[in-house]
Order: sequence, then C-alpha cells, then structure tokens
Amino acid sequence: MKDIVSVDHLRVEFATGDGPVVGVQDVSFTIAPGETLCVVGESGSGKSVTSLSLMRLVEFGGGTITQGALTFMRADGTTLDVTAASSQVMGQVRGNEIGMIFQEPMTALNPVFTIERQLTDGLMLHKGLTQEAASARALDLLKSVRIPEPERRLRQYPHELSGGMRQRVVIAMAMACEPKLLIADEPTTALDVTIQAEILALINRLKRENGMAVLFITHDMAVVAQMADRVVVMYHGRIVETGTVEQIFENPQENYTKALLAAVPKLGEMKGKAAPERMRLIGDEAARAAQTAPKSRKPEVLLQVKNLTTRFPVKGGILRRTVAQVHAVEDVSFTLNVGETLALVGESGCGKSSCGRSILRLIEPTSGEVWIGGRDIGALNHHDLRRARADMQMVFQDPFASLNPYRRLKAQVAEPIQNFGLASGTDLEARVVQLFDRVRLPREFMTRFPHELSGGQRQRAAIARALAVNPKLIVADEAVSALDVSVQAQVLNLMMELQEDLGLSYLFISHDMAVVERIAHHVGVMYLGRIVEIGPRAAVFDNPQHPYTQSLLSAVPIADPRKRRFADDLAFKPITSPIFPLSYQPAKSTYTEIAPGHLVLNA
Amino acid sequence: MKRFKTTKGMIGIILLLLIALVAIVGPMVIPPDAATAMDMRARRAPPSLTHIFGTDQLGRDLMYRVILGTRTSLEIAVSAVVMSIVLGLPLGLISGYFGGFVDNVLMRLVDTLLAFPALLLALTISAVLGPNIQNTIIAIGVAFTPYLARIIRGEALRVAQMPYVEAARSAGTTDLMIMWRHVLPNILPAVIVQGTISLAFAILAEAGLSFLGLGTQPPAASWGLMIQASRDQLDIAPWTALVPGLAVALTVLGLNMFGDVLRDILDPRSK
Amino acid sequence: MTYVLNRLLSVILTLFLITLVTFAVTNILPGDVAMMIMGTQSNPEALAGLRESLGLNDPLLVQYGHWVGGMISGDWGNSLIFKKPIFELLAQKAAASAIIVAMSMIIALALAVPLGVWAAVHRDKWQDTVSSTSALMGVSLPDFFWGILMILVFARWLGWFPSSGFVDPAENFLGTLRHAFLPSLALGLGLMAHLTRMTRSTMTGILNQEFIRVARAKGLAERTVIWRYALANAIGPVITIAGLQIGYLFGSIIVMESLFGYTGMGWLTYQALLNRDLPLIQSTVFVIAAVVMLTNLAVDLLYVVIDPRIRLG
Repeated sequence: MKDIVSVDHLRVEFATGDGPVVGVQDVSFTIAPGETLCVVGESGSGKSVTSLSLMRLVEFGGGTITQGALTFMRADGTTLDVTAASSQVMGQVRGNEIGMIFQEPMTALNPVFTIERQLTDGLMLHKGLTQEAASARALDLLKSVRIPEPERRLRQYPHELSGGMRQRVVIAMAMACEPKLLIADEPTTALDVTIQAEILALINRLKRENGMAVLFITHDMAVVAQMADRVVVMYHGRIVETGTVEQIFENPQENYTKALLAAVPKLGEMKGKAAPERMRLIGDEAARAAQTAPKSRKPEVLLQVKNLTTRFPVKGGILRRTVAQVHAVEDVSFTLNVGETLALVGESGCGKSSCGRSILRLIEPTSGEVWIGGRDIGALNHHDLRRARADMQMVFQDPFASLNPYRRLKAQVAEPIQNFGLASGTDLEARVVQLFDRVRLPREFMTRFPHELSGGQRQRAAIARALAVNPKLIVADEAVSALDVSVQAQVLNLMMELQEDLGLSYLFISHDMAVVERIAHHVGVMYLGRIVEIGPRAAVFDNPQHPYTQSLLSAVPIADPRKRRFADDLAFKPITSPIFPLSYQPAKSTYTEIAPGHLVLNA
Repeated sequence: MKRFKTTKGMIGIILLLLIALVAIVGPMVIPPDAATAMDMRARRAPPSLTHIFGTDQLGRDLMYRVILGTRTSLEIAVSAVVMSIVLGLPLGLISGYFGGFVDNVLMRLVDTLLAFPALLLALTISAVLGPNIQNTIIAIGVAFTPYLARIIRGEALRVAQMPYVEAARSAGTTDLMIMWRHVLPNILPAVIVQGTISLAFAILAEAGLSFLGLGTQPPAASWGLMIQASRDQLDIAPWTALVPGLAVALTVLGLNMFGDVLRDILDPRSK
Repeated sequence: MTYVLNRLLSVILTLFLITLVTFAVTNILPGDVAMMIMGTQSNPEALAGLRESLGLNDPLLVQYGHWVGGMISGDWGNSLIFKKPIFELLAQKAAASAIIVAMSMIIALALAVPLGVWAAVHRDKWQDTVSSTSALMGVSLPDFFWGILMILVFARWLGWFPSSGFVDPAENFLGTLRHAFLPSLALGLGLMAHLTRMTRSTMTGILNQEFIRVARAKGLAERTVIWRYALANAIGPVITIAGLQIGYLFGSIIVMESLFGYTGMGWLTYQALLNRDLPLIQSTVFVIAAVVMLTNLAVDLLYVVIDPRIRLG
C-alpha cells in the first residue's frame, strides 16, 4: 500500500541573529494510511519542527526547509511535493486533507469567536457548505467527540468551556473535513490524567472509524506505548531509532533509546515490593546496587496534620465583599514519619499544593493544627514561625522561577544559613561548598547565575538551598514535573539518596502516579480538597478502594505496549467546583480503616 | 532586525553622550556673556559663519543659547525624574509587595492622580508655586510620580509572587531583606527603562511648560522659551524655531532609542 | 450588572477624591492667593476685600465645603478675569475641545492601526523598521513643535487652513472643522506614534498565540487570519490604550489651543493659570480630571461589550 506521507532527508533551519540554526536534519520516515506513528523526544529534539514542516507552518516561526523532500498523497490519489507547493495549494491541504491539534487547549481557540463560528469557517471554506449546512455539520462533529449539551456549546465562547472540552472542540475542528492524516502535537500534555485518557481514547476511536493516519508527537514514553503502531525516536534534531512499538520497547537498539526507556517508571512494576526503589539510570547501575537496604527504623512521627482546612475568599459585589469560598483544603489529617515520604496525589485543583503551602504557612490555613517536632506551627507568632521554618523547607516546580535571576548561586544557597546565623565567614563558605558537593553540582557553579544552568542543575541548586538549614521536612511541590524524563530520574535518585543519608522526610506533591509508586512510602489521594484515600503505598496502589482512586489509576498510561487501556471511549466523572457559598457547612471527613493504616473516606 | 536594534542602540548612545557633553562642557567653554550679548545690528540673522545657527529677535547667538538651554533642560529633566523615582519607588514597592489594605488605599490615590493629565498637573503646580527652575522641577516631579508608582507597583506585585520570593520567605528571610535582596534587583531593570523613557517625557514637559511661560523664566535660556519667542517671526526667521526644536527632538529621540534597546536588553522575558 | 454598578460607585468615590486633590493642589500650597491675584503692589483694603469675597479667611475645610457644595447646587462661582459665571464659560468651551479631542483621536487611530498591524505582520523586516522609526520620530518631537510646523506649512506657505482662531459651530460648522483641523492633526501625529507602537506589540503578542497557528492549520487564508482572527482580539486592548491617552490629549490641548488661538477648554485653562484666576483654575482642573476619568470608565465599559470573556464571565 502506498504511504500517505513520506519524509526524506528533511533539514529545517531557523534564521537567528547569530546566523542560521539547524532545527532538524536528516529526518526520514513514512506513514502508511491508517497507522499511528509516534515521534518521541525530549525538549529540543525537533519533534514539533518536523510536524510543522509537514503543514508548511514552520515558515511562520521563522524556519526554512533547506533540504529534503516531503511527499503527501492527496485525496484524489495524486502526490504533492509539499516543499514546492504554492500557498494556495497548501491552503487547500491544511485543515482539509491534514488536520492538526496542538498542545494548549486553553489558547488554541480564538477567545472572541463562538465555537460555532470556529467550527464552521473551515467547512465553508473547504467544502463550500452554506452557513446552515455547516452549522448542522458542526453539531454532528460536537456529538462525535462526545461533548455534553452540544447545541448549547455551539453558541458559547471558549472561556466558558473546561480544558478537556476545549481540546474536544479542537479535535472536532481538526476532524471537520474528514482528513486522511491527523497531526497531534503533544495533545494531552497540558491535561489532567483522566482527561488525557479520555482524549487518547477519542483519538483512537476516530482513527478507527475514519481510517485516518495519525502522526502523534509526544515526550511521554507511556503515551507512546499506549498509542503507537510505529515509533520514531528523536534527539537533538536527528532520528535516533525507528521501529514498531514492540521493537522499540522490548528490544531497543540505540543507547539513547535504552536510557530513555530505563528512566520511565512503569505503573504496576512495584507490585509486591515493600520499600521504594531508585529510578533506573543507564550507567548508574553501581549506584543503584549500592542502595542500602532500608534501615528498619522505629517509626517516629515527624509531622502531624490535624483537621487542616484552608479556604480562599471569592470577592464580588459592590463592596468587594466575600461572596463565596474556595474550599481548597477541607479537613485534612495525616502523619508523616521521620525518614519517610508521603506523596499527595491528585489532579489540578484538588488542593494538594495548597495543602503543602498551608503546612509551611506560606498561605494561612483557616483552621486545623500542624505539629512538627512538638510545636503547633499554626499557633506560632511571626517571630517564632520564622525560627520554626528552619525545620521545614520547600522545593518548587518551576526551576526557572524558584531562583532569583540576579543573584549568584552561592549567595542564594548561603542566604538561609545567614538568616538563621548558623555559620559565617570561612565556615559559611565551607558549608556552601559541602552543599554543592552534596547535590553533585560542580563547585565552579557557585559563582554562576541561574540562567547559566540547565533545568536539572537549577533544581539541584534549589535542593541545596533547601538543605542549607538542615531541615527535617522538605515539601516538594511537583519538584520534578518540569524536567525531562532522564533528568527527572537523576533528581529523584538524588532526593532518595539524601533521604537515606540524612533521614529527611518528604511531603511529595505530584500528579504523576508512576513516579509516586516508585518513591513513596505512603500515599494520600486528594479530591476536592479532601484526602479520599490514604495508606501505605502498596495498599493504595494494589488495592484501591475509593472510586476516585480507582478511576485515577485506571487512567494512567502504562509504558508497556502490551498493556493498552484506551481502546474504547472513556468518560470519567468530571471534577466539580470546590467553590461554595459562605453558608455552606461541609461535613467532617470520616474514614473507614480497611487494613492497618489504609483509610478510605466515607461517602 | 537585530542589526537594526544594535544600530538603533548605538545611535541612541552616541546622541546621548554628545548631548551630555554639550550640557556639561558647553557652558564652560563658551565665552561668559556670549549667550546674552545682543548684537542689535544682526537681529534675526540667518545661519552664517559668524552665527552658525543664526540669531534671535534680540540679536543673541542661537548656538550659544541652545548650548545653555541643553544644560537647563537636562538639569530640570534629570532632577524631576530622580524626584519622581524617589517618591514613586517606595510607594510602588510597598504597595505591590504587601498588597491588601495598604495597596488599596495607595493605588486608589494614585488612580485619582492619574486622572489629572501630567501636563495640567505640572502647569497648575507651577502656576500656584510661581514659575522658576526649582518649582518646574517640583511640578514635573510630582506630576510624574503616580505613573512611576503604578508601574513599579505592578512589577513588585509580579516579583512578590515568584517562587524565589516564597523560597526566601520559607528560608526565614525578613520582609525588609526580601524587598532589598530579591524584589528590588528584579524590578530595577523596569525602573531604569521607565526612568529613561520618563526623561524623554520630562524634556518634552519642560519645553511645554516654558513654551507656555510657566516654566523656566527669561533671561535663562531654555529650548521651550526659544520656540515661544520664535512664534511671531516664523515667516521671516524660521531657524529660530527649528534650531531649538531640533535640539529637543534629538535629545528625546536619543533617549527613546536608548530606552527601547535597554528594554530589550534588560527584560529577561524578551529573551 | 454588578460589574457596572461596582464601577459607578467607584466613580462617585473617585470624583470625590478628584475634588480633594484639586483643592489640595490649588489651596494648600504656600502663597497668598489674594496677593497672587492682585500683585504685591496692591493696597491692603482691596486685598482684604478680595480675601473676604473669595472666602479666604474661612478655615480650609469650610472653603472646601463651600466649593463642593456650590458645584453640586450649580453655583460654580464667577471667573475673576472674564467676570462671568464659570459654569457658563465651561459649557461654552467644552464643545470646542470635544471636537479637537475626537478629531485627533480619529486621525491617530486611522493611521496607527494599519501601520501597527503592518509592522507586526512583517516583524523584523524592513516594513517594521520603517514603521517603528517613523513612530520614534513622532514621539520625539514636542506636539507644539508639530503645531508650529503645521502653521508654517499649511497656513503660511500653502494657505489651506487658518493659522488661528475659532468659529462657533452653531454658525458655521465647516468653519469650526477647518479651524480645528491643524491642531487636531498636530495632536494626532504625536498620539499616532504611540498607538502604532502599542498596536504593533499587541498584535505581535496575538500573532504568537496558539489559536493563530490553529487558524492557519485550518487552511484559512493569511488575510483572514490577520484581519479577522488576530485583529478581532487586538481591537479591545488597542481601544483601551487609546482611551487611556485621553488624559494625554487633555493635557496637550492646553498647549495646542493656546498656540492656535482656539478658544476651547485648554485655552481657558491656560488663561486661568496665566492670570491666577483661582476659582476658574479649580473648576477647569476639576472638570478636565473628571472628564478624563469618565472617558476611561466609558472605555472600560466598551471593552466589556467587545470582549465576551468579561461580558459573560
């Protein structure tokens, strides 16, 4: 059968002030009709440039195709040389014969036009439909992507729809003219895991029903395992390896592919193991072997949270009075032992971040107690709170924003030590050197500014800063989420090593179930501000009892092509709003203990 | 474009250096009373070898007067902008960093002041205080303060929400030290850019005030005053308007070009 | 609806604050107002009489109360130099200035929007350089200098427009427009430069957004993408920015109307300031600030109508 797309030795360059920069080079692959080809790579690998070239959209970003051939088989059976096509011909192909969906559903729709207008303009342009016919077709499209209340959606504006619904609209737009090829550029990266599962299932169904080919671009190996027929692995603008999905996952040939796969945690691989394990890193086997067997320390409580509640006012009305409240954290209780990791997991808006911040009193909780080292943090005055913060530090998600761009790293790591008067002069210098060694940052980085470092290096510096005051507790808020997977594995291993050596406790806030399964001792699942299920990691992952935990776990893509889970349409219960009127009196959180330490919220 | 930006920056810097040189060195090297000496036989003389830029209605040499005017203009503009930064920086910093009630009160006041056109406010203050150089500085300085405060407040608000400020807070850094070590350095680029652009506006405001007779007073030399005096003789001696007008334009152009390039260099978001 | 009500309440509070600031600027500053008005050489009895008639011997709070109370009841006092009721004067001159402000805004927008879009679309190319250079030139010349150039070229040399004066629009509306054109053009050019730069940066931001890429991926023509998809999003911010420039315009008309002998609000304000006509200063300053504030409010409300995110949010 003839290929629908063939890319041959593609080279794309970008004009910059410092001369041309190569985006991709020597890229060749083909897509057969009806197959899904996944292009996978870390940031900067050139995977998006490839797909944009196919649409000749790369020119709008300052890129030029300088070499190679791009051939597309058109609907009428003729082949089109995309590199030489006129802008008129490309206008006929785009949106008509090739559909495309992008990463950011929040910004992919024009905010000042209705959904109807955005769905119909392509139809009227390409298919010559009348306004009425196009509107009717638009309604059918919304039904086919299973949007609730499709008639009403047509008249709505994008901001009135949730992220998941918007991505469905974008897919409906791409599908409008029944293209033979769908290009999906990181279509689920910005979405929560249950919505990701729904969208992936939707793409699979549409592909099956319409017999179209899919070019799927992603950085997530687990998504690749779930979606791909064949895989192209890219690195630094070049293709590293091509093969069927089974070949790539079960018998990778290139070292880069092997390393990439090794660093990806697979959900379910910790079944039957009691203690956390370090991430696999190629070339790091020795370190992993050196992992000390978990010290059987006597459980000793470090942090105890009792009935913690945080609400934010919603202001409104004439006098900017509080008219409602966001119940961000609602009656949350748990304990965290010395030297252990408690992971708080959940989807965006579930209150896991607010919970971490409330514990450190970076935001003021509404009520509840936080005991650490025999002190109730909530009862401390301003002065004592400052002192008490030496015991608890935070590592933030965005390594670019958590370091002051105008201070040298040395000064930033030394700052907490100076604040508490822990050391000065040569002692201070020695302590900072020791901290840099501890997080394995070269000492010459001490005099550098944050912008001279990579994301992983910055996160190491942020960890060094957190360690500077010898804290007992570190709250890590999505601390590795912004990092590429291999860097993520390195930083996680560093954190686990520090835990073993220093007896640190982590409150690990994350949306990534596969990572949490590997590193946590205990897991708390949060939903609408409450912990719905909490217990030892093995108990929660192997025997989930709360319906939300079960759906969350069933939505996680597994990095194994033989364990596919998104063939049929999925519909998870949408998360409702945590905003309530002032008069609302929430019920107390009560739990049933189904196994020692394994608690499930009563309905 | 990058080349255009660097050429633009170079032109801006060269213009500013030249103007600064004229303002500082100029008054020292020209003959002491050259700018006030009236040559009644050469009134409204067109540019020539004896009077390179020509003379005005009293036969005074325009080149010397423009040089003296450069010093007056820059003196007033720089002092006024410094004054508005000194007033606006703490106001905006405190408002943006602490937020809440303080912010509400301060920004309500600033919003009210912003309803008064800067030139109107400056003219009124100058008229009430009595026009002279010192009061012109006060008038422009006060009139510009709400704009500075507004911009600085926005920047401080942005920076105060950055994770590195939260990190510093959880590391036990006091509010005062956070403002000094973390907020101030990060808003400084914006303040410098805004200061440069405000300088351009201050030059224009001073010229406007003097043009209306409510700024610098004769016999002091000022570009605005010179343009004012040229109004009645535009037909017969257009150079008396063009020479000081060009001086204003070149200075403001230099400041704007420099400010644009500065914004691109200093704004980390533009990278 | 609550949004509109909210804004209206805040308007009343701001109006009150404007009276406070106006009063503070004109009264608390040092200097004897009576002396300022009559000069240092005037005889003591006349000074005392003036003080009495202006109510200057009362405590400041009482004076403030008199002033605000008078304005609410419609008695705005008399101008010292024109010997006429201030309210009457202001009503007369306001229309003249409205013509200039509206005309210069139209000129500025009509030139700035196409030029700014053009520059944003051809970002980093020669078109952008041309546009940004001319914008730079525009903001670098004082607007009264533009005015002088206009007089020189269009009035003196070409003789197309009158160089000064004002015609009552009730008698000869075309004549009014002819007189208003040069000052409006001079004001519009300075404003145009600023708006061009703002349009360019707004459009650049919008053209970098994902929905523009989506529109292109749908196969829409580049013309449609820019002039429908992108501009529909830019128009709100551009109008907001233009609205904020009303304040700048009301400052500049003081210079421009005086230069062109165009007897509007700006000219009136200038006469009041020059002659230290305190009651007239207070009233003109207050009215200009109030008008600026109300225009900004109107623009905000217009934005609500334009942008569905606020309208329906």
